[in-house]
Amino acid sequence: MYPLFNPKHVELTPFLFFTGKGGVGKTSVACATAVALADRGKKVLLVSTDPASNLQDVLSVELTGEPIEIPAIANLSAANIDPEAAAKSYREKTVGPYRGKLPDAVLATMEEQLSGACTVEIAAFDEFSRLLSDEAVLEQYDHVVFDTAPTGHTLRLLQLPSAWSGFLDTSTHGASCLGPLAGLEGKKEMYAKAVAALSDFNKTTLLLVARPDTSSLNEAARAAHELKEIGVENQLLIVNGVLQTRHPEDVVSSAFYDRQRRALKDAPTALKQVMTYALPFVAYSLTGADNLRHLFSFYSITTAAAANTAETAEMPGLDRVIADFEANNTRVIFTMGKGGVGKTTVASAIAVGLAERGHRVHLTTTDPADHLGYTFGGGKGNERLSISRIDPAVEVANYKTEVLKDAGDGLTEEELAYLKEDMESPCTEEIALFKAFATVVDKADDEIVVIDTAPTGHTLLLLDSTEAYHKEMSRSAGDVPDSVKKLLPRLRNPKETGVVIVTLAEATPVLEAARLQEDLKRAQIDPKWWIINQSLYAAKTEDPVLRGRAASEKQWIQKVVDELAAKYAVIPWLAEEKIGYDKLKEFSN
Amino acid sequence: MNKIEIYDPAMCCSTGVCGPSVDPELTRLASAVYSLEKKGFDIKRFNLANEPAAFVENALVNQALVDKGPEALPMVLLNGEIVRVASYPTNDEFAQWFGITPEQLQEKPKVKQSIKFSI
Repeated sequence: MYPLFNPKHVELTPFLFFTGKGGVGKTSVACATAVALADRGKKVLLVSTDPASNLQDVLSVELTGEPIEIPAIANLSAANIDPEAAAKSYREKTVGPYRGKLPDAVLATMEEQLSGACTVEIAAFDEFSRLLSDEAVLEQYDHVVFDTAPTGHTLRLLQLPSAWSGFLDTSTHGASCLGPLAGLEGKKEMYAKAVAALSDFNKTTLLLVARPDTSSLNEAARAAHELKEIGVENQLLIVNGVLQTRHPEDVVSSAFYDRQRRALKDAPTALKQVMTYALPFVAYSLTGADNLRHLFSFYSITTAAAANTAETAEMPGLDRVIADFEANNTRVIFTMGKGGVGKTTVASAIAVGLAERGHRVHLTTTDPADHLGYTFGGGKGNERLSISRIDPAVEVANYKTEVLKDAGDGLTEEELAYLKEDMESPCTEEIALFKAFATVVDKADDEIVVIDTAPTGHTLLLLDSTEAYHKEMSRSAGDVPDSVKKLLPRLRNPKETGVVIVTLAEATPVLEAARLQEDLKRAQIDPKWWIINQSLYAAKTEDPVLRGRAASEKQWIQKVVDELAAKYAVIPWLAEEKIGYDKLKEFSN
Repeated sequence: MNKIEIYDPAMCCSTGVCGPSVDPELTRLASAVYSLEKKGFDIKRFNLANEPAAFVENALVNQALVDKGPEALPMVLLNGEIVRVASYPTNDEFAQWFGITPEQLQEKPKVKQSIKFSI
């Protein structure tokens, strides 16, 4: 096993970036690290981008974009940057002055273009850069701890000379991804400095945070590789939430433990070259300075957590979801959620459940791990159920080839480089995928289609406005495919389409899912069901550490039920991984 | 000399790659404008998403937006008069306006001076 992570025993650079997908606990680990360093007498600035503002509760101080000293913890200052808010304020700065001067419909098209993930990403980078490039910051603090890191895509875009040359000035080739940078040429030097600091071995360490599960470790390997390639080479891996002991008699506890060990054993080879530490799975939530300190003392459980054993309550299960879709004759079902929440398994179980009830079902997945093949275990299924796979990598590659074929002609090398990087944006993948599953839905007229992913509201609105735009644009050759045109109104029809949001009963996954829902609502799509997956609260275990965690799930389930979901169901954490049709059949009943 | 102004709709990117389908029209236009600029012609392009001010300041453009909404874009002005609504000029039109041959629009522009830094 890996050594346990403790800031006391690790040589740490002035800038520390914690990175990882939502729900891996990077804010908690960043926060605990900052407290540990401050406790040792270092002057520390903690910069959080946690939209949950968990940190505000932890530190009992209202945080702002400007660093303030934390009274309860000596030597620690903190600031909270909300990239969504930063993007929003950027949007408002751009659009606001024109309210009343331009028609509302015109303003709406502007706002949508400034609502993408890229705008948020760049807005966050803009905030980091202020701290990274300001020499006074390092005179004041020994360490600056960030609970997130810029993505490879952002860094590569900034690295391209074309990002800074005439493209932005003349805006003949301005790209969306640099939206917030447009017209901010004056910041060139600041960004260059920030980028240089990031790749300085002596200044910056990237701490990759992952959970001991396969998809999280794969994601960490991908991020490690991508950021290394761009020059951020000083990296550490922290595997967070490793269950230290198991109760051999407890089925859930043993399965939980075994699955983690297996995932770690099979971790991608790329990660083997990165210095790796572990942090224990703990029964308590990482809020409050005391609990944060416990983390590096490697307490798995506290007295308070041990006392807080939750009772198991009866909660609606997946069968309700399936019965509801059947009763309403829903034809297209999307399961959506961030990576690692199990949306492919949920989609498979819904498909199997409907097929078992006598319906013809087509299930399609975008899971890069081809989880479906795994889920069905290659066994015999049901003749009413057909399965297909959309490979995002293939779809994106096809899309890129198409773009370069159509558009690459007559571009200079520099423009071509820009075009290529532009296509590395998350929007490209979404649009390529949307086209692919529009084709699937189009073909399936007499089947129920279940898809384990869904477009974001942003993509839908872009497609929508483009459709309107193309209607007017007689000369345009780049047309929206018919299948896409047909799918848009179908998606909006609640009689025909059901969107299922899949999440976990933890802070970040719930908040991320809430944001997905907001985004879909902007595009007039109301998610019908929320499914809380892998719930320890709903599972039967006597393991005190797992019970402690189960108790902390309660408030998040409550939030989903009370504030977020129209209808909800809870799926317990299952000791067996659902392999094979028959197992899925059980699962859906 | 003739002066051309192009008022684009709010666009993700003027290369058109971010849209639901690649629009060769946009890449053609971007290249043509780029090449005209390099030749020193008076041609300007405004993206609603980045430069909304231009859409307010020009009274004709503003009025067209009030009357027709965002569907009026893209709009093209020749010497301050609207000559095209809801579509872009062809290369032939550009050539005619600036007194050059359409072929000259396809010449590859030289790589521009740029500031480079590496990480």
